Amino acid sequence: MSPRTTMLDHQPWRVLIVEDEPILAFALEELLIESGFEIAGVAGELETALTIIESGVCDAAILDANLAGVNVGPAASVLAARGLPFLILSGYSSDQQQSTFFGALRLQKPCRPDRLIQALRSILPAQ
Amino acid sequence: MLRAIRSGEVDALVVESAAGPQIYILQGLDAELNRLHAEMLAQVSDAVIAVDTEDRVVYVNAAAERLYGFAASEALGQARSNIYESRWLCPEDEAAATTALRQLGEWRGEKTHVRHDGRELNIEAGITVLREVSGQPTGVLSVIRDVTERKRHEEKVLISEIRYRRLFEAAHDGVLILDPGTRKIIDANPFMTQMLGYSHNQLIGKELFEIGLLKDEAASQEMVRKLQRVNQVRYENLPLECQGGRRQEVEVVANLYDENGSPVIQCNIRDITERRRSEEHVELLMAEVNHRAKNLLAVVQAIAHLTSKHGDPATFAARLSDRIDGLAAGQDLLVKNLWQGVEVSDLVEVQLAHFKDLIGTRVLIEGPRARLTPAAAQGIGMALHELATNAAKYGALSNIEGQVHIAWKITAATKPAFSMSWLEHGGPKVAAPTRKGFGHIVVGRMAAAAVKGSAEITFPERGLSWTLSAPAENALT
Repeated sequence: MSPRTTMLDHQPWRVLIVEDEPILAFALEELLIESGFEIAGVAGELETALTIIESGVCDAAILDANLAGVNVGPAASVLAARGLPFLILSGYSSDQQQSTFFGALRLQKPCRPDRLIQALRSILPAQ
Repeated sequence: MLRAIRSGEVDALVVESAAGPQIYILQGLDAELNRLHAEMLAQVSDAVIAVDTEDRVVYVNAAAERLYGFAASEALGQARSNIYESRWLCPEDEAAATTALRQLGEWRGEKTHVRHDGRELNIEAGITVLREVSGQPTGVLSVIRDVTERKRHEEKVLISEIRYRRLFEAAHDGVLILDPGTRKIIDANPFMTQMLGYSHNQLIGKELFEIGLLKDEAASQEMVRKLQRVNQVRYENLPLECQGGRRQEVEVVANLYDENGSPVIQCNIRDITERRRSEEHVELLMAEVNHRAKNLLAVVQAIAHLTSKHGDPATFAARLSDRIDGLAAGQDLLVKNLWQGVEVSDLVEVQLAHFKDLIGTRVLIEGPRARLTPAAAQGIGMALHELATNAAKYGALSNIEGQVHIAWKITAATKPAFSMSWLEHGGPKVAAPTRKGFGHIVVGRMAAAAVKGSAEITFPERGLSWTLSAPAENALT
């Protein structure tokens, strides 16, 4: 078991995965579960992502910047408004990416799994 | 007395003076004057030829000897036409010359003389009728200047002028010529007027800022100052507002040139709207290519990660390579179709390339024409790859008689649905696997997610059965 889940009185963090590539979404899911997180949901489309965020079941999110051509900005905006931390995963290099996504931490695809987990932990509040 | 002297009836005069009688021999005076005239004519650079009324040469000066290639001694007494042949430039000249000589006694103009060796000369001639004191014509005096070289030069300049004028007129760049002193436009080519929508007359006398090429007068002055320092100024991507408000992006290159001692500014203005558009398009494409490449690498990374969970390193490497092959084949198909979608039959054929000898016998494929979206093609492609690998290892293609039946259809309902199936029979007896590996995930939930539909895998004893179904609008283009 990872250290996070052994802490008393704390449930594992529930993370929303917003990713339109099914295999990447699945690999992220596996990775997060292995690392002691819980999956709040997997969304391949912006609409689904917004519904999940608004239902209040997630503590944090990993967002693919581009969902089949749709910018993930609105999801970032709702998360920011709710004070929920999130990471941006993007295949574009930062100079090609127009949006800043509210200054969110941005990772480039492909991203090493351990770096991703490290980054995710860094944006979560200390328990 | 005077008349007698003039008419030559008197040869000498005796004049009484304080010093005694002085004798003036008139013949000697004439001879002296003639000698002086001849001396003067010999010195002039123009050719001088006199002919009598019979058109016979009575005088040639040194310049004429040189010009026509005759010695005076050879020429004198000869018919003029033996020295050179005279041609008019146009018939009107001949008529005009005849009239002028009759009425005024002289004519000036240009002609062509052909020397006895055939060389043609362009000449300017002044022709005067020579007369006796009585007024009776005695011949014609021609003063001839060779202008062949000057003509040739003028012709060259004219040809050059026509040539460069044509370049200027036909150029598909706008060209403006400015006076550096006033900074005003003194010439503009037709393309420039077309580009700006101003007429030539509207452009002449304007400064660059007045036609919207530079921001203001200060910018115009700055350009001229800079030009005087460095001779060339270049502006990339100037927004140019044409008459009518249409905007285009232009590139301006201004040069300061010297034209025979007076400076001029030449501005070349190129419309780069199209070039900018295509640059932007390329940038966009590059970003997209980068995005797709990174995404694909992320997929490979995920596959590697998921494949690594089972088996020893050698098995892992083999499986990973195999899966990357499948991914590459799918990628090829997508690119071949410009990411616009993939025919199901093409996708099946590519993912079952290893079994193409069995197609039609042990691998039966049937379905209508249907075009999958890129996402559906990738998901279904990977599923087919896993199914084929599994069939070859454990299923209907692992023995010598099993069969796989691959079929797809589109059902026409109020909401058309796309469905696809992979049914095996005749292979070794099948039992449900004890654990769900990567292949199971790909064939199941990943394929389902790719078409936003559902996938089902069952393991009846006669063979594996896979069905996929989705709303047609999700799976097909």
